[in-house]
Amino acid sequence: MNTQETLLWINEQFANTNELTQKTLEYESKNISYMYIKSLIDKELLQKILLKPFFEMSNMDQYKLYVQALPQYQEISSKEQALLEIMNGNILLEIDNELLLIELKLSKNDAVSSASVEMTIHGSQLALSDNLMTNINLIRSYYRQPTLNIEYMSYGEVNQQKVALVYDSEKVNEQALKLIREKIQRVDKQLISAANQFNNYLNDKRFSLFPQMVMTERPDRVIYNIGGGKIIILEDGSSQSLAAPVVFFDFMITMEDDYHTIVISTFLRMLRYLGFFISLLLPSIYVGVTSFAPEVFRTELALTVAGSRMGVPFSSFVEVLFMLFFMELLLEASIRLPKAVSATATTVGGLILGTAVTEASLASNIMVIIVSAVAISTFVIPVNEMAFAIRIVRFLLILITTIFGLAGLTLGFLVFIMYLVSLDSFGEPYLRVYNYRKSKKRSEGQA
Amino acid sequence: MQKIQSKLLIIFSILFFLSGCEEFKDIDKDVFVSMIGIDHSDDNEKPFKVTLKLFVPTSSFRQKPEANYTYLVETAETISEAIRILETHIDKELDFGHLKLIVLGEELVKENKNKEVLDFLLRRPDIQLISWVTVGRPNAEEIVTMVPKGETAAYPSLYNYFDGNGTESPYIVTMFLFDYRRRMMENGLDPIIPIVEISENESTFTVNKSIVLKNRKTPYELDPLNTFIFNSLSMNVKIADIEVKQGNEHFVAKIDTIKAKNKVKKQGNNKFSLDVNVELIGYIVESQNALNSRDLPKYSKLLEKEAKENLESFFHELQSEGLDPIGFGLKYKAQTFHHKRMSIEEWNETYKNAEVNIKVTASLKSTGSIQ
Repeated sequence: MNTQETLLWINEQFANTNELTQKTLEYESKNISYMYIKSLIDKELLQKILLKPFFEMSNMDQYKLYVQALPQYQEISSKEQALLEIMNGNILLEIDNELLLIELKLSKNDAVSSASVEMTIHGSQLALSDNLMTNINLIRSYYRQPTLNIEYMSYGEVNQQKVALVYDSEKVNEQALKLIREKIQRVDKQLISAANQFNNYLNDKRFSLFPQMVMTERPDRVIYNIGGGKIIILEDGSSQSLAAPVVFFDFMITMEDDYHTIVISTFLRMLRYLGFFISLLLPSIYVGVTSFAPEVFRTELALTVAGSRMGVPFSSFVEVLFMLFFMELLLEASIRLPKAVSATATTVGGLILGTAVTEASLASNIMVIIVSAVAISTFVIPVNEMAFAIRIVRFLLILITTIFGLAGLTLGFLVFIMYLVSLDSFGEPYLRVYNYRKSKKRSEGQA
Repeated sequence: MQKIQSKLLIIFSILFFLSGCEEFKDIDKDVFVSMIGIDHSDDNEKPFKVTLKLFVPTSSFRQKPEANYTYLVETAETISEAIRILETHIDKELDFGHLKLIVLGEELVKENKNKEVLDFLLRRPDIQLISWVTVGRPNAEEIVTMVPKGETAAYPSLYNYFDGNGTESPYIVTMFLFDYRRRMMENGLDPIIPIVEISENESTFTVNKSIVLKNRKTPYELDPLNTFIFNSLSMNVKIADIEVKQGNEHFVAKIDTIKAKNKVKKQGNNKFSLDVNVELIGYIVESQNALNSRDLPKYSKLLEKEAKENLESFFHELQSEGLDPIGFGLKYKAQTFHHKRMSIEEWNETYKNAEVNIKVTASLKSTGSIQ
């Protein structure tokens, strides 16, 4: 590979921009030339570790040795690599007709933020940062094992984003790792902007409802998952990581479960599952019971429900869908809105959903209670993605209950369970109750 | 694609069978029946008089705490016909799913129409088998249409007599529809139904008597004492007051534990004895005379004596009438092989002549807090 040719080629690639900076230094028989992209380089560092020594050192041999000894030094294998590295914040240095790469990347996104999606009271309050190297640094410094393995690759034809697979090579679920490697090879996208996208890209199904990977922003959860034999997918520029393979019950635990005493965490877990079932079933049960089998209620309750429905112009299922629809709108609105406005949205929405709707007798009092119970219990599900999936399943169950009554609800719930059983996440059965770590021998079929 | 579509079609057509007899009907289009009263009418063409008590729904019981009912009365040849006619008297669908109380008129019970009535009650799918069966005196209509003072909305006070949450008096017999049916069908276990009366001041109900039915026999009424004894022997009544009047002593014992065991014992050829063991534990709550706690064994003996006398007269009454609400006949059937068993008539005769061994063990724990 000819040095001059390479330099010329790289220059050609940047012909249309003025981003590339090229300089040549000559001083006391020493001379170097270098090129870099100004906006990616830490200028202070450049001045300190490359320019200052150049003027201080007595000859070129010494300087070359010095540069090669720098930890940021990187060898060049091809001109394409050289180009990519320049775009990654490296500086290309030419000494004695030889090309050297020094990484002087300036990162403005490596600050570790505090957890904002998965909040806990106990335990670490840190979340991953947007910078891949910082994240790996976090993981490495929390998980001290030589077997911790990191595979780098880059995806996205246009933006060439760095992606890392992190796993413990001793504990990892080999079959899942193989599958993930295989599937990730097939990813062919123009732009990849967040790790979460892999949840779809690594899924062969066209329509999938339940997440096949669990998303997390908490380093402690990442460590927990690595220790459990899971594979973590990290991406540069994304403060969220994905862990796979998962079982359904992974979505129902929070990291805090391990930080409480056993009785408290059992209680909290029970609460969570109860909330899960309420948010899934309560609206459909309301429809089924009020419209198909009112004898299920206690007499007083049946009369109260019947009384509170007096004057409501809709059927029970329209009432439920109407209220849930507004609740979903409110949820969605409060996520998207700027913080300053979102408080207003919830107040206005709460007012409408709370009292005004019953006073205008568009919905019964009981319905308001049910909708708020459902909303609250949806928030109890610790992993957001699962909560979203449940919101959709809930509507399907209401639909089937409206048509077929409580028998339909029972059957619909059964179908829901059957669907979960039929799912798998990278070869792991989705609704497996116990952790796959514990099973030495696997009997399930492959994905 | 064609294949998936046809599969979906099949699945959906199967799902439609699921809906069965259910149909979509909003709860405010139903009207709930709280009680049904069935009377015997004087009209020979239309022997059944059906009274329905319907809940009037309110949106808030706090705003309208007083009870509010609608009544429907109709006579017809059959009960179903009466209900069919009544359906045209109201704009909403009659829902018997919350029917908890069935009141049979006293006349009707005496007319021996019980099988027909039971047939209706069992066949109608929305009448629940856990409803209570009662006899209304003087007739069902009066009991059903009476609303006692202080009755709260949505929960008729008559329910409280039987549900075990309100009053827990040992004088109240609770008979569920499923048990009533079982006793009607079974030989050796006779149905016993509580009698509901209107008290003298016409503001509350009185439930302390019961009636024992037997096929092709006039129903036999048990007075409050015998009703209480029946209850404590069979229905797991735990708390009772027993008045003891023996010799000079006259006191009332509050019993908080009653354990009763009944047995049928074979005594030689075709001779049987009925063994009744009763254990009473409690304390004295009221007395005419000063009591000494050192004499507790003596008082216990007096209680035993009193209880035994009462039990003996109770069994004497039952045996002479040939009534068996406690189920000795069933016990006999259960412990004898079918080919060695005597016929029903034979057993009835044997039952009437069986010797009754009553053993009462009483232990009074204290004489109350006055020393």
